[in-house]
Amino acid sequence: MSATSGVFRVVDRIRARLEGPNTIGNSRGFWLGFALVLAGAFAYPTFVSAYQAGNTALFLLYGLLALSLSVVWGYAGILSFGQVVFFGFAGYTFGIVSINLGSTLGVTLAIPVAVLIATVVAFLLGYFMFYGDVSGVFVAIITLVVTLVLQTFMAQTAGDAWTVGSVALGGFNGMPGIPNLAVGTEATSVTFRGGVFYWLVLSALVVSYLGLRVLVNGRFGYAMVGIREDEDRVEMLGYDIRRVKLAVFTLGGTMAGFSGVLYAAWGNYIDPSVYSLTFATMPVVWVTVGGRTSMLGAVLATVSIEWFRQQLSITGSEYAMVIVGLLLLGVVLLVPEGFVPFVHRKVTEFRSDPTEGIPDAPESPGEGAAE
Amino acid sequence: MVNGINLLLQFLDSFAFIVLAAIGLAIIFGMMDVINLAHGEFIMIGAYGTTMTYNAGAPLPVAIAAGVAVTTVAGLVLERTIIHRLYDRPLDSMVATWALGLALTQAARILFGNSLNSIGIPLGAISYGQFSYSLYRVLLAGVAIAVLVAAYLVFTRTEFGVRARATIQDPETAAAMGVETGRMYTITFAIGSALAGLAGALYAPTMSVVPGMGSSFLVEAFVAVVTGGTSVLLGTTLAGGVLGSVDALLSNLYGTFVGQIGLLIVAVAILRFLPTGLSGVVETVRERRERDAA
Amino acid sequence: MSDDGVSRRRFLAGGAALAGATVAGCSGDSAAGTSTGAGGTVKLGVLEDQSGNFALVGSPKHKASLLAIEEINNDGGIMGQEIEYFDPDPQSDNQRYKELTRRMIQQENVDALWAGYSSATRETIRPTIDREDQLYFYTTQYEGGVCDKNVFAVGPTARQQLGSVLPYLVSEYGPKIYTIAADYNFGQLSADWVKVLADENDAEVVDEEFIPLSNSQFGSTINRIQEADPDFVMSMLVGANHTSFYEQKASAGLDVPIGTSTAMAQGYEHRRLNPPAMANIYAGVNYMEEVPTDRNTGDGGFVDRYYEMWPDAPYLNEEAENNYFSIYMYKKAVEQAGTFEQSEVVEALESGITYEAPEAPEGESIRLDPETHHVDHHMWVMKADDQHNVSAVEDEVIPETFLTETVGCDLTSEDEETQYTPQDYFEEAG
Repeated sequence: MSATSGVFRVVDRIRARLEGPNTIGNSRGFWLGFALVLAGAFAYPTFVSAYQAGNTALFLLYGLLALSLSVVWGYAGILSFGQVVFFGFAGYTFGIVSINLGSTLGVTLAIPVAVLIATVVAFLLGYFMFYGDVSGVFVAIITLVVTLVLQTFMAQTAGDAWTVGSVALGGFNGMPGIPNLAVGTEATSVTFRGGVFYWLVLSALVVSYLGLRVLVNGRFGYAMVGIREDEDRVEMLGYDIRRVKLAVFTLGGTMAGFSGVLYAAWGNYIDPSVYSLTFATMPVVWVTVGGRTSMLGAVLATVSIEWFRQQLSITGSEYAMVIVGLLLLGVVLLVPEGFVPFVHRKVTEFRSDPTEGIPDAPESPGEGAAE
Repeated sequence: MVNGINLLLQFLDSFAFIVLAAIGLAIIFGMMDVINLAHGEFIMIGAYGTTMTYNAGAPLPVAIAAGVAVTTVAGLVLERTIIHRLYDRPLDSMVATWALGLALTQAARILFGNSLNSIGIPLGAISYGQFSYSLYRVLLAGVAIAVLVAAYLVFTRTEFGVRARATIQDPETAAAMGVETGRMYTITFAIGSALAGLAGALYAPTMSVVPGMGSSFLVEAFVAVVTGGTSVLLGTTLAGGVLGSVDALLSNLYGTFVGQIGLLIVAVAILRFLPTGLSGVVETVRERRERDAA
Repeated sequence: MSDDGVSRRRFLAGGAALAGATVAGCSGDSAAGTSTGAGGTVKLGVLEDQSGNFALVGSPKHKASLLAIEEINNDGGIMGQEIEYFDPDPQSDNQRYKELTRRMIQQENVDALWAGYSSATRETIRPTIDREDQLYFYTTQYEGGVCDKNVFAVGPTARQQLGSVLPYLVSEYGPKIYTIAADYNFGQLSADWVKVLADENDAEVVDEEFIPLSNSQFGSTINRIQEADPDFVMSMLVGANHTSFYEQKASAGLDVPIGTSTAMAQGYEHRRLNPPAMANIYAGVNYMEEVPTDRNTGDGGFVDRYYEMWPDAPYLNEEAENNYFSIYMYKKAVEQAGTFEQSEVVEALESGITYEAPEAPEGESIRLDPETHHVDHHMWVMKADDQHNVSAVEDEVIPETFLTETVGCDLTSEDEETQYTPQDYFEEAG
């Protein structure tokens, strides 16, 4: 008896950290469903081909990129087109370091170096913006312009002058030959490809998601949400909002950076198209459709949208882009809060019995809040 | 190596391009807080309307008018169906209009193919010494100034203009005072679309007419609108002037790559250090002078 | 030149059938060398841009590929097998190319792949190609230098293209050259080749300007050209934005002759722009729709057949012919190898395959060089006049020499997966 109740107590303690008014999904039903889906996701590579697993892994690492924007935008209200900046910086750094060092150990070292670079870049850009009191749409524009500058600049880094160590940046043609992710030394190592790579990405995604849930439901999370809702009030309460914003933005940069490393290793390649206007906009699209205030929504939307876009491209239909555009338009107009908050709202409305005169206790503010 | 006349003409060219590209977007953003990422596609519609009319045999001025007309109609239709739901939702409007732009570009490709036959640039060149410059492109600077002046007159001297500015400043009070804000928005959006169409129509003879052509205006337009700041007309003019000079000077000295990067970097600097934009600076100076004078 | 004896073919065919039967039992994600030999169709992957920024130049490639496939199928297919093709739309998006290439190789198990317009696309998918050992034809004219055992770069290289037009212009107009090029790998490398060729032809590049791909305003560029007052300009501008240069230069009254490896042949500017925008432009290309060979413009020739299948197509461009003849070369190689097994076909392709391509005059063929996987093209200098009529002013066969002579790439004896640049080998380029 005491053993099981002990287990329950541990589970409850964990759940207490993971749950709160700032995230959707605080019931046992949710966690059961979550565990089920997760089990299925882990089992996925065992019943599909390596191609499918690799393909889906790409969508999952995009999900990580979406998560980075979700926490920055959905929770702290900072719309950033710059997630791809950190994504790209990390990807390129990973390529440069891993190819220069060569060995498996080199690849292992390249990972934290790349993520560190992305973090530093995010910190610098965030400092530049937030300590200059830039906010709202201007953050979006500045991050967008930085992305465009990088694209124009990187595209012309062809030629031998643009070489770091023994690795050419490659300009428009990009940097091929980036090795697969590996951890260890020549003697003992794990190389991540195919199904194993998929599991790595999935694990990273799950860990990030759960970690963010803890963060967002803690004190720091309240500060973030406060800034999203009303900056001035939070400042009057004594918070240094610039520091909070900078911290969140940097965290977003770190996550986007790790996603970039995964990307570079997935395709064994990186090029300046990661800085293009289209790709810079994609995280915004994913998070908008999934629901700005829902991290789960961001991930689910990413996987769904990218899978859908790929399917359309396979059909070769000339209407592919029209369909994508109209669909996105429809979602923004009809489901402005995003899919997951929308579904959540419907579910809770359905659950609060409409036949009684007095409805159930209202959900805490901040949950499922639109915009 | 800085040849004075070259620099002047290049500046006028740049100024015209930035102003004409930005004015439509600026009016819509200033009035309705809608960030129209389909702005490039509106320009494309204007260019397509003009090119197809011209290729059907009409003279160029008629074709330009047709291009503007088509874009105005398109703008009105889109406003009534889609855009009016996005007012005061700047971030949602970005995503929605981006998606719209995607659909419009591909629709143009499906309907009209990968390219239209271009109109040639009229009016020939002005020669000076060993150099020459396209007269048409220089005249566009005159058109840009005319557009700014006309917009200024409309917004300050007409009743519509007064009502429009009231709605921009304080929509609730304006509505309380009897201004039909809904209609204001529709008309303003139509004007913004018309101006975007005008940019497309005027530049169509100088460019390759392809479905994706709008994207070459987008960056300059955006950057100009945001660095311009709160006052729509003053901001656009100043942005055109400042960014145009930077672009022209750097391109003249170091080539188009440096010109382009320089323009973007200056824009970022303005955004960072002048949070109210260029027009904000002017307003502050003016206010301070008025205060000192009082 | 082919033919290693009938007995070898029979041996190979037998071995392939055996291999095919064994491999056919394996699951879908085995290495792409899977044979489809014994009973079934041959699968070809055609990944060309049908929408997006490169649709203008990618669409003819797609159409010409389908033309070749249809002609071959009507003629009994390859070794009696009908060609089945997969042609999804990568939408000018390198990410799509990556995803679709993986799909083509790992899921559809294509026997050969034609993919991509830009060099960036080629480089995006080359890691996958090399990892999976997929037979791959890259058919766009490009900067040159790819020495890769899996890649058959059958388009003309910058050295071949510029090498046809630059010497002609030097002899016609003089030795002062001004280069304008798109500011990315292809443009920069082509500009390097201009310097090398100038040195070889006693000419001099007085200045260069590199223009970002997104730029469509050329006022300052035109002024700078006027200031330099060259004898002729070499233009390696790329894309729809850069097309504006020709219109703007015409309206500014700049009429210096221009040699190019990119204009007219790919994006048919001479049809899309009003005269005299392209007047006095000399394109150094292996193929354009106007190339005056019997096989091309003669009755029932390539042009006629293309427009019969695609009556609404606006133009038949340079790359389209490369797709077309390389599919036929593939057919020849398979027939020679007697199997669809990719490594065997590659060996057959390395035996000196020739084909009577539309770019070559009657009685001549073009040859796939065994050691470098490139083609010794029949190059043409095509000039547009004031009315945009295009005519040939010179033609000759120009073999690929950078990899063969300068670098020493020999894929028949040594497997490689590299791209070489002129800067490493020529002082003038650096």
